[in-house]
Amino acid sequence: MSLELKTHNEETVIVRIGKALDFRNASEFKAQCQDQVQEGARNFILDFSDTGILDSTGLGSIFSLYRQVSPLNGQVVFASVSRPVQVVVQLTRTYKVFRQFPSVEAAQDTLA
Amino acid sequence: MAENSILIVEDERTLRRLLEYRLGKTYRVRTAANGEEALAYVHEEAPDLIVSDIMMPKMDGFALQDALSEEKSTRAIPFIFLTAKADETSKQRGMRTGVDDYITKPFDIDQLLSRIDRLLERANVYQSQLDAKLGQDFSERLMPKRMPEEPGYDATFYNKPREYGGGDIFDWKKAGDDYFFTLGDVMGKGLQAKFYAFSFLGYVRSSLKAMMDSTRSPAKLMQKINQVLVEDEVMENTFASLLLIRWNPKRHELTYANAGHCRPVLVTDNGPELITYSDMILGLKGDTEYQDSTLTIPPGAAFMAYTDGLMEQQPPDGTMLGEEGVMRCTENLHTDDAPIDRLLEQVLDASHNDQFDDDILVFWLQRHA
Repeated sequence: MSLELKTHNEETVIVRIGKALDFRNASEFKAQCQDQVQEGARNFILDFSDTGILDSTGLGSIFSLYRQVSPLNGQVVFASVSRPVQVVVQLTRTYKVFRQFPSVEAAQDTLA
Repeated sequence: MAENSILIVEDERTLRRLLEYRLGKTYRVRTAANGEEALAYVHEEAPDLIVSDIMMPKMDGFALQDALSEEKSTRAIPFIFLTAKADETSKQRGMRTGVDDYITKPFDIDQLLSRIDRLLERANVYQSQLDAKLGQDFSERLMPKRMPEEPGYDATFYNKPREYGGGDIFDWKKAGDDYFFTLGDVMGKGLQAKFYAFSFLGYVRSSLKAMMDSTRSPAKLMQKINQVLVEDEVMENTFASLLLIRWNPKRHELTYANAGHCRPVLVTDNGPELITYSDMILGLKGDTEYQDSTLTIPPGAAFMAYTDGLMEQQPPDGTMLGEEGVMRCTENLHTDDAPIDRLLEQVLDASHNDQFDDDILVFWLQRHA
């Protein structure tokens, strides 16, 4: 599958979302992030640079992750947000919850 | 469709590895060396089918089968015995305890594969028939049987659920001179989404009923529904976009709160117009605030609301039609006799395929000229 997880430091994980996050791989995304939370990760940087599809199931899995880490004072942030992802974020008015950064590096700097 | 999973239970290492290798080409395979191990795996994650030896140390195949039959959740897992015991007694004993097939060693691997295929196919067909039936039932219950009738107006809606669609909901209630419409989409796909949508609609209905005496503000109602959704463990991880609309036909007024839902459209002689104000989707943050907005429906104009199935239709360039695309398809339809039919036609004309991929829901409120 197209997901790629990289540990930045103990608390922060970078997830490269790939071409799509939708009903086909949303449960995989959920499971992999859950493993990371169990191992101590609190912050997630989601890299959307190649993402053409984010459907409601995919978005739901990101929401679940947010619900999971926010009581732990963790954050879910979006990096390199592509146009289709931006459309969904605008529609659902979730930009108030998921901070956006122009690049993964910029997100890392802020979260560090 | 997801890959089927098979559990192989065999104490002889060579045969176990051979089966793992051959079946692993087509299925997701786990192996266990005896019944005890197998039972532990099954409780972790039930496989779609079990292939088991009979004679094994610790717990043999019969004991495993007995243990599985005792529990409702494991009783129906297709089960194939694989054994050197060719004698009639054990065969009959195996068959009697609810085993689906019986293959004696030495066996032909292709024969085993074709029997596995047949059993899995049968199970999958039952499952999808059941899903379709339940999904249909949920879908019907999530939609009203009739619509409000008010002089000077036509209120209509169209809904076409897909077997693998999502959790669209639509409902209305009369309260004095007002009508309250609920239109939304619970996130997710398939039967699970429909089930969540069904419970969610229950919450919405009871919240409306409980609060109607103290407030008529869609935003206040929305705030309450969001809190319940975030705080209630049963509804944990349920996210929904929702439009709550209060309609007063005498004053020709619509007051609405929008929680991250596709924005409705007002169609007039000046062309279609997006009704822009909206707040965050439900279920994410308990302290989210919602706001009411009010608009007046001019004579001859129409108000249209819908769910994302329309918007997610793909034009030939592979993008999404989007809110703008749907809005363009409503142009001049306020003078049409069958506006919803025309709208669906135009959306399909703009898409690369000739049918809808997702649930379709459209609500059309037409004021007479």
